[in-house]
Amino acid sequence: MGGLAHYLEKAGIPTSQISLIRKHTEELRPPRALFVPFELGRPFGNPNDPDLQRAVLRSALELLTENNGPIIADFKYLDDCKIQDSSSMTGWACPVNLEKPTSVVKDLDKLASQLMQEIRLLEPWYHESMKNLKGRKLNGLTNYTNEELIIFLINFIKNPNLDSFIVNEPIERALKLACDDLKYFYFQAALARPDGASDLKINEWLYRRTHLGKAFLQIREICLNHTSKKLSISGRTNFVPNAML
Amino acid sequence: MVYLSDWSKQQQDVLLNQDLPKYNDTACVNGPPLSERRIAIITTSGLHQRTDRVFTPGVGEYRIIPDDTNMDDLIMSHVSTNFDRTGFYQDLNTVFPIDRLRELLVNKEIGGIASYHYSFMGATPPTAQEIVASDLADNLKGDSVNGAILAGV
Repeated sequence: MGGLAHYLEKAGIPTSQISLIRKHTEELRPPRALFVPFELGRPFGNPNDPDLQRAVLRSALELLTENNGPIIADFKYLDDCKIQDSSSMTGWACPVNLEKPTSVVKDLDKLASQLMQEIRLLEPWYHESMKNLKGRKLNGLTNYTNEELIIFLINFIKNPNLDSFIVNEPIERALKLACDDLKYFYFQAALARPDGASDLKINEWLYRRTHLGKAFLQIREICLNHTSKKLSISGRTNFVPNAML
Repeated sequence: MVYLSDWSKQQQDVLLNQDLPKYNDTACVNGPPLSERRIAIITTSGLHQRTDRVFTPGVGEYRIIPDDTNMDDLIMSHVSTNFDRTGFYQDLNTVFPIDRLRELLVNKEIGGIASYHYSFMGATPPTAQEIVASDLADNLKGDSVNGAILAGV
């Protein structure tokens, strides 16, 4: 982001950026940056907190009139505004009780049917969540159905030398998109009752309590040990967050 | 909870000790008062319209987000698993504060909103973005933009 600010500014466009990683901003020295104390993924603060979001945006905009950069300003909290740390929200629970997965998955056909069952159980909550979000859908990175995506993933686990199943995308990207599309579906269903949802909680649920999470862990292992360098690299970070390892 | 302090030392080192390009000079251009500025949002969250092609890792490419598009139909194809998405799930403004920007326009705190906003995918080497930045700057100028808010995730 800091590099982009330099290029745009040199071309005559004034920029002001939100900084979440101060060290990077200090090293890249963009013209104007507002450092915010939020967790990664939330540059404008809490969801559904317009006062805080507006304060962050206004502070970043006000920096545009400063012309002696590089400047890093600290975001000043509003007196009556609390920064929500998603980890402090502990009340969330998935609306569906799914069958707890076993740690080692050997029977892949059984895994496929367990995944199909999870999808069927989550579907009503996914639709409920869509209704709550006024029709907003988080999944849809691919044009495949959840069932088709599951078949692709199971086929890859059975045969890690499988060709890509998405046109114009290499296998490592196809795997990532398939996994993310399913993950978005699961998360949207799980967030039908979002009160108390946190990144940690929802990831713990996905990776420790669902068959899909177990499948992701298995795909990660296969990729890490794959002879393809691209798959091996993608295995490091693409399927399982650092906090879940 | 996606704070760096919650990662292992090794995981933090990988992110923090990246080999970043050096920029010895920092350009800093003038502009009119904020109330006369036309503002665009540039995000590196990997957001795009549902009909757009998903992002390709490592490539300095961007997607356009027309100001009159249905913002509820934006999706995210960022490659990273290591940032909070629960905020974005619940409220787009957590990463792309379009509703807040519109409120500031109603209050006349800013002069206008760009016809197009732009989205990159972070986790891309900054130098790869240089290739498209001059095109992007021309587009912004053509849209009379004189203030850009850049926000990563």
